[in-house]
Amino acid sequence: DCIIKVKCAHIFELCQQFPHGITDQVIQNDMPHLEAQQRAMAINRLLSLGQLDLLRNSSGLLYRMKDAQTASKMKGSDNQEKLVYQVIEDAGNKGIWSRDIRYKSNLPLTEINKILKNLESKKLIKAVKSVAASKKKVYMLYNLQPDRSVTGGAWYSDQDFESEFVEVLNQQCFKFLQSKAEVARDSKQSPMVQRNSSFATSHEVWKYICELGISKVDLSMEDIETILNTLIYDGKVEMTIIAAKEGTVGSVDGQMKLYRGVNPIIQPTGLVKAPCGLCPVFDDCHEGGEISPSNCVYMAEWLDF
Amino acid sequence: MRGNRRSLRHLSQNSTNSDVGPPTHQRVRSAGSPSCIIQTLWAKKPIKKMTAQEVRLCGLLLQEHFGEVVERIGTHLLRGGAQNLRTIANETNTPLDLVKKSLCVLVQHGVCDFGSGRRGPGSPVEYRGNCERVLRILRYPRYIYTAKTLYGDTGELIVEEVLQRGHMTMSNTVKTVADRLTHNMEEGRSMEYSEVVSSFSKLVETHFLQRCPPVAETATAAPSATPATHRTPASVTPPTAESNPDCYKLPPVTLTGRGKRRRSSDDGEEPGGVKKAKMDSESCGDEGIYWQVNFERFHQHFRDQAIISAVASKLDQTSSEIVRTMLRMSEVTTTPTAAYTQPLSANEIFRSLPPNYSISRPILDQYLSLLVDDPMEFVGKSGDSGGGMYVVNLHRALANLARATLESVVQERFGSRSARIFRLLLRKRHLEQKQVEDFAMIPAKEAKDMLYTLLSENLVQLQEIPKTPDHAPSRTFYLYTVNQLPTARLLLQHCYKTVANLIERRLFETKENKRLLEKSQRIEAILASLQASGAEPEQLTEVEEMITAPERQQLEALRHHINKLDSTENQVDETIFLLESYIISTKSK
Repeated sequence: DCIIKVKCAHIFELCQQFPHGITDQVIQNDMPHLEAQQRAMAINRLLSLGQLDLLRNSSGLLYRMKDAQTASKMKGSDNQEKLVYQVIEDAGNKGIWSRDIRYKSNLPLTEINKILKNLESKKLIKAVKSVAASKKKVYMLYNLQPDRSVTGGAWYSDQDFESEFVEVLNQQCFKFLQSKAEVARDSKQSPMVQRNSSFATSHEVWKYICELGISKVDLSMEDIETILNTLIYDGKVEMTIIAAKEGTVGSVDGQMKLYRGVNPIIQPTGLVKAPCGLCPVFDDCHEGGEISPSNCVYMAEWLDF
Repeated sequence: MRGNRRSLRHLSQNSTNSDVGPPTHQRVRSAGSPSCIIQTLWAKKPIKKMTAQEVRLCGLLLQEHFGEVVERIGTHLLRGGAQNLRTIANETNTPLDLVKKSLCVLVQHGVCDFGSGRRGPGSPVEYRGNCERVLRILRYPRYIYTAKTLYGDTGELIVEEVLQRGHMTMSNTVKTVADRLTHNMEEGRSMEYSEVVSSFSKLVETHFLQRCPPVAETATAAPSATPATHRTPASVTPPTAESNPDCYKLPPVTLTGRGKRRRSSDDGEEPGGVKKAKMDSESCGDEGIYWQVNFERFHQHFRDQAIISAVASKLDQTSSEIVRTMLRMSEVTTTPTAAYTQPLSANEIFRSLPPNYSISRPILDQYLSLLVDDPMEFVGKSGDSGGGMYVVNLHRALANLARATLESVVQERFGSRSARIFRLLLRKRHLEQKQVEDFAMIPAKEAKDMLYTLLSENLVQLQEIPKTPDHAPSRTFYLYTVNQLPTARLLLQHCYKTVANLIERRLFETKENKRLLEKSQRIEAILASLQASGAEPEQLTEVEEMITAPERQQLEALRHHINKLDSTENQVDETIFLLESYIISTKSK
């Protein structure tokens, strides 16, 4: 048994030497005479003492020294709490729902609730309201920033979707692209040059919006790209992707997205010029019924217009 | 007001078929010959299913243009499929001779065709109505206007006459048009027949007019082309106009003369002269060669116009001119339902550009490559020989136009945010509720509301993908999707209903104010006769004052309403044309 203790101390020292963690292989190299079984016992002891962390990476298991501060925090808790804490920690910054904690740890609901309250009071975890389902609370470690999918990112402030903000950004981006296209059209150069200069990269739009300063929150290029995508769905803008050298400003993975303002290809179609095209009771209307072309109020108003 | 109520009075025209009526049983043929099989197969041809809205619209159009009796017969034919004479007479409770006359009218205009019955050549002749042909009546103003823009007043009148009469000989058309043009000219001038003939021949050269298809005479000998052992018929349908090789050949007659001014005082004076005119027409030499309007050609022209204007708004004027040149070069080489035109080389396009568009060759190449790169894909590149071979993607262009129409309807009816969702679903095909909210950047509650509204109007469909075999709702994916073709069909039916509603409203307004209209017509007649007989101004003003001021206002308002309804009908017809072309083009792919 003392041998195990000595080995434990040895391994712990190794861990201190390599703060990023050591693999089984490293321990074996350092202590080649140590049998595998004894090594396992030593590691297990260190784990149960809470002095080592067990992690897994692509090449195998990793043993890392536990942070001294967190180690001291967990001293007062028992194993169940440690388990719950582990589960929450694994969830990273997406957080985890209480029901999922229950599935993963197989503990009864009442226990879970007690433990969660306990951990919260110790300021080890916190509850964050999810923007997707407003009643749902997810738990995550206290010092972590919640992920974008939970808080909604730049478009949500306190769980509320900021539609006016989005609208304003939408209009500003469109105006920028439209004026760029007009300048290109008026320049009267060869058509290729005209078209190319009417394009703007997402980076340019992003810079323009940042300089405008209408946003209180910092917007990233992806945010601007989602706004530009809504403009595409409005039919006002089209997009192409070109290959760009790595390192040119604004390129992502060797590609750049270019946006350009466009005109609609047809005028509003003939059907909507008749009141029937917009009528809310179109399906109820037939000759001889209560709603019919002869007594249609909408038609009467439209004819007198 | 529309005065196109053609009742049965134009039956004095020669009709192309001489055997309308109860079948003569002299047409005895041996049972096994190919032509009788052809005839039987005609009777068994599947009929295009018609919707209630289409029948309603056809009924209204027939009534306006041909009168109640023809409307009754026509609607009965359209609803019931192929029927023989007795059935029609019995089921519509119309006397036999009226049925015969109505069928005459319908056949004259190509709405109805006939062929041997179901039980073989010995059974009574059956008549079948053609719904599409009736719906074309709605488009007559557009055809006439196009003829006017292309060939001037003469062309306009020629097309108008042929449309109104259905089938006409060339000599008859020329005379009538010359007379009409002379009537509108100043005193002492009249229209030369040769001018009208030249317009007529231009129309025929560009295929806007074509000869009527030869009637499938069952009394003629069996076509020697089909071998007796061959069962497969050469043509299951009645012969089309195009199957006649002389379809676009002018008859070898020369017409000389001038138009005659129709004077109201001349009516009773020269019965001899009228008779002489009749004898002239009979000796012109083109009896039996009847001409009709080639609707397909007009449709091709409209489609080309739509594509060119789309290119002009999306890109610029020069690109649209290039596309116009390409389409003009492919007019005669491309079939109407082709998905894309024949390939044209850049050299050819360069040579065929209109002379006032002097752009250099490299600039043309740039424009062509811009057209090819455009996401709308109006023009495609099919090869590199001759400086690059380019085609116009007709089907793709029609699909884009139809799609823009759908989006426009959604936008006008439900707002721009719903339109955003609609376009999003068109692009991304299948999306979940949450994804729709995220991509469109619309708050969840509003997005849900809009999606459900679109769903209830059937513009958006829901696709279920179950995760478990028991289709439990909590374990199923619900994806929203938009299918362009069914939605286009739905909107087309809406268009038909809208046009029918507009026509009914117009009839209603006219009926409401019938008394007033009759009064104003009487007053006008009195005024005209007074003016012709040289009355004094006081008498004229006295007559004019018989219509009071509020009545005048009411008349003005009525005129305004009727015009508005008329013009809106034409506008909805444009939508109908786009959607129909898209549906036909997709079906024939």
